[in-house]
Amino acid sequence: MRISSLVGASTLTLVLSSGVFAQEASLDLVEPIADYKIYVSENVAKLVADTTAFTAAVKAGEVDKAKALFAPTRLSYEAIEPIAELFSDLDVSIDSRADDYEKAEADPAFPGFHRIEYGLWEKNSTEGLAPVADKLLADVKELEGRIASLTFPPEKVVGGAAVLMEEVAATKISGEEDRYSHTDLWDFRGNFDGARKIVELVRPLIADKEADFLKTVDANFNTVDTTLAKYKDGEGYVTYDKLTEDDRKVLAAAVNTLAEDLSTLRGKLGLD
Amino acid sequence: MRDPKDLRRAPRALDRRRLLQGLGATALGGSLAGVAHAETAHHSVADAPVANAASQLDSVPHLGLHQAGVVNPRPANGMLASFDVLAENVDQLEALLRDLTARIAFLTVGGAVPVLDPRLPPADSGLLGPTVHPDNLTITISLGASLFDDRPWLAPLKPKHLARMTRFPNDALDADICHGDLSIQICANTQDTTMHALRDIIKASSRQMILKWKQEGNVPVITPGPDGRAESARNFLGFRDGSANPDSSNTAEMDRVVWVGTQEGEPAWAEGGSYQVVRIIRNFVERWDRTPFGEQERIMGRTKISGAPLDRRHGSEFEVPDYAADPEGKATPRDAHIRLANARDEASRANTILRRPFNYSNGVTRSGQLDQGLLFICYQANLERGFVTVQGKLNGEPLEEYIKPVGGGFFYTLPGIRDASDYVGSTLIAAARGA
Repeated sequence: MRISSLVGASTLTLVLSSGVFAQEASLDLVEPIADYKIYVSENVAKLVADTTAFTAAVKAGEVDKAKALFAPTRLSYEAIEPIAELFSDLDVSIDSRADDYEKAEADPAFPGFHRIEYGLWEKNSTEGLAPVADKLLADVKELEGRIASLTFPPEKVVGGAAVLMEEVAATKISGEEDRYSHTDLWDFRGNFDGARKIVELVRPLIADKEADFLKTVDANFNTVDTTLAKYKDGEGYVTYDKLTEDDRKVLAAAVNTLAEDLSTLRGKLGLD
Repeated sequence: MRDPKDLRRAPRALDRRRLLQGLGATALGGSLAGVAHAETAHHSVADAPVANAASQLDSVPHLGLHQAGVVNPRPANGMLASFDVLAENVDQLEALLRDLTARIAFLTVGGAVPVLDPRLPPADSGLLGPTVHPDNLTITISLGASLFDDRPWLAPLKPKHLARMTRFPNDALDADICHGDLSIQICANTQDTTMHALRDIIKASSRQMILKWKQEGNVPVITPGPDGRAESARNFLGFRDGSANPDSSNTAEMDRVVWVGTQEGEPAWAEGGSYQVVRIIRNFVERWDRTPFGEQERIMGRTKISGAPLDRRHGSEFEVPDYAADPEGKATPRDAHIRLANARDEASRANTILRRPFNYSNGVTRSGQLDQGLLFICYQANLERGFVTVQGKLNGEPLEEYIKPVGGGFFYTLPGIRDASDYVGSTLIAAARGA
């Protein structure tokens, strides 16, 4: 019910390019983008549910439970980051890191997931985190509301596959994203899943003309899957410090290549 | 903007420079016409240094109403060094400022390095050999808010708008490369000269101040086109930077835009100074290089090849976009960098700043990406109306995905050293003594 109304509500503005790929841009993108909106809506609904449980644990002072819920809760946020980042105020509030603040962890303005992560792992405590948890839950709910009324710009959706890889390449491959909990491999999973979803949605549109391109992209995604699989632990992953230097290099090269390749996806689809 | 005036001014600029250099045109290794072309092109802060035109004998006068290094053209190398000052009283601060003035007087004019007893450490690092040449060196001294705030005898004299640099929404400030009591901007033709000057100053002032951070940068040198006109230098995003800078050789314009006068409600000692903003702005160049060409142009608001505004693609970078004719942003998106920064209307004239940026390249981040970007430096007579207002308009711009300000500070550039008996900051010291 909710999902079908979402599809109906998604008024899509397709931007036709005047560039070399212009002839390929078409209403063919309407369906992939409607499907992507469903994917994002499902993820953000899961994010709200998971964040509700996570913040409840924080507020109840249940340190171990909160620690266990931290990485899985973030997974759905990481998967839809290209859309979440369209609301930069919320992205800062939900997912900024201590480096974004001059006094780092001691800065009273430091909010969101990573502020709670810092308390849980570095202080092994939930002291003082209740207002941070309340704000995080409110922000996540606000995000859900804004996404529901968002017209998804096609170039942002298709470009999002590359954006996810850029995120990993610029700040995650070093292990500085989840620096207190070292749950970075979970975030990787979310980012790769989000990027792959976008590729899968547009695959039928370019399967014939871009077979070689898709083959290369698939190979790099498979390299990532194979490498990450080595570090699987239960439902999730071992801590980032367990990643060997050799595997880190393999992941870095795959991420950089995916970022290079996926940055051409918009142009291949004729999007400006 | 600058075009008609350029040609009128060029001959005078040439004469002045030849006098300063004490060289005939032929000594520059080219015809007079060739030199004149270069000078026509190279007179404003925005312009790139002209290839093969720099000489170690180039000099910029260090005496005048205003400090050197603000409105004179950028040479190829620049550096910003920030210090913590130890001075606990007005005598100690005066001593520091006098010592700095003595080093400025020697380094920017040049001369033989003193020879000491070889059993002692040498007087000079030796980087430039036994004779120091001016090499276009300028050394510009500015003061941070903390110098005033931490000293009750100085605090009442703090310039009206001077404050610790605030965090803007896209900033990720690293405390290790922010703020400071005193900044020194050093510009010269070669990196050897800027580094020599810094080492000289550190050696001379070790009792009085401590180096906090520094950032070096450079401006790409450009060979002028067939018409003799040099273009604005490119930044590390590959775009020309500075096309809309005000004409820094226009004295009246600089009095309006850059220099603090009597009308600003500033303390009297500050007249002739300026507000200096320093921002170390990292560029995510790998990601930028993977961004569609058309989007890069829409984000910046200029064509990448020539720098022409998007509503006159076949023009030059110096043509002025007509935003009034493009209210919906069809040619130049309304959130394009240059459109937000300068709406080109009467109201935004009050927010004009003089930019003096340098590109920097530092190494590699922990993620294996290039750590490079822009050492942004700008000057303005009113910090609030200038940089703070312009940055406020830029907050949230699409370019933010590709840039991250990580350091810098707000400083007040002291008035000029008026003559050989004066020293930098003398009016402040006199005011602090209640004279």
